[in-house]
Amino acid sequence: MSKSEGELFVDHRASPGLPEDVARKMGYEPSLVGEGKLFEAATIQCVHCQQIVIRNPFRERERASCMACGGAYICDMCDDIRREPDYVHLPFKKVVDLVATGKATLVSLGARPLLIPTKGKEI
Amino acid sequence: MAKRVVSNVAQTWAPTANNAAATQFIAVKGGSTTQIIDCLEFLISGLATASTATGMQAAYSSTLGATPTVPPALPNADGPMIVNATALASTVVAYTAATTGPIPNAANTLPRLNLGLNLFGGIIRWNAAPTQQWTSVGNAVNGGETVLWNNSSAGGNSGPLNAHVIYEPY
Repeated sequence: MSKSEGELFVDHRASPGLPEDVARKMGYEPSLVGEGKLFEAATIQCVHCQQIVIRNPFRERERASCMACGGAYICDMCDDIRREPDYVHLPFKKVVDLVATGKATLVSLGARPLLIPTKGKEI
Repeated sequence: MAKRVVSNVAQTWAPTANNAAATQFIAVKGGSTTQIIDCLEFLISGLATASTATGMQAAYSSTLGATPTVPPALPNADGPMIVNATALASTVVAYTAATTGPIPNAANTLPRLNLGLNLFGGIIRWNAAPTQQWTSVGNAVNGGETVLWNNSSAGGNSGPLNAHVIYEPY
């Protein structure tokens, strides 16, 4: 785990853990959260939508990154959305900056954030 | 600013759906339209005496909680982790009870942190890496309020637990 990764710690060492069907519903690999198991995993965050994902060490497909955001990681959904013809690059930190400085009010975050300019100008 | 921690302890959390008002929860909302809040840690420790799988999740609210109880009533609490911290100009609204609880969003394009565990002896903790905090901004819906709750849509069952959220307002 590097310093740029978060940490997920799921401790079922003193617990019956999660049943297989429930674990799958919650998005876990059942064998990692069963009885007596300790599951520790690195997490990474999409710079566009702020979604936090557990890094899958077995993934072979390339993870996407955004060169306009300094090569930072973006999730698969944002990677798909950024290829749409009407896509406007508006990373999460830009949204935070616009709202925190009063230049816009927030309607919705996510892969396609929606903001309303407060001064009648386009963002 | 100073890190703060809000806790909700010794309650039995009933599961509610994404688009329904949460009944047991921890919610953190900005004190102004421009306030930024970084959530740095979510921790849940189970208190159940029999196997109880819960679908704990953190998400943004699509409807804010109505008339929140601030500060939370004991045994819950909210305060700075540095005792001599300077008071904030905009006081964060961190609460564990309201006349109507916050409604977590049901959008599949908004982030959602999965914190499911078995409350019979289970513990889950998520820590953010530097610059990768869970951040809310302002105090409006879909981005201004974070809520931790037991999600029936994620397989949640009712069970007792202790939980806290460490956050840092700006």
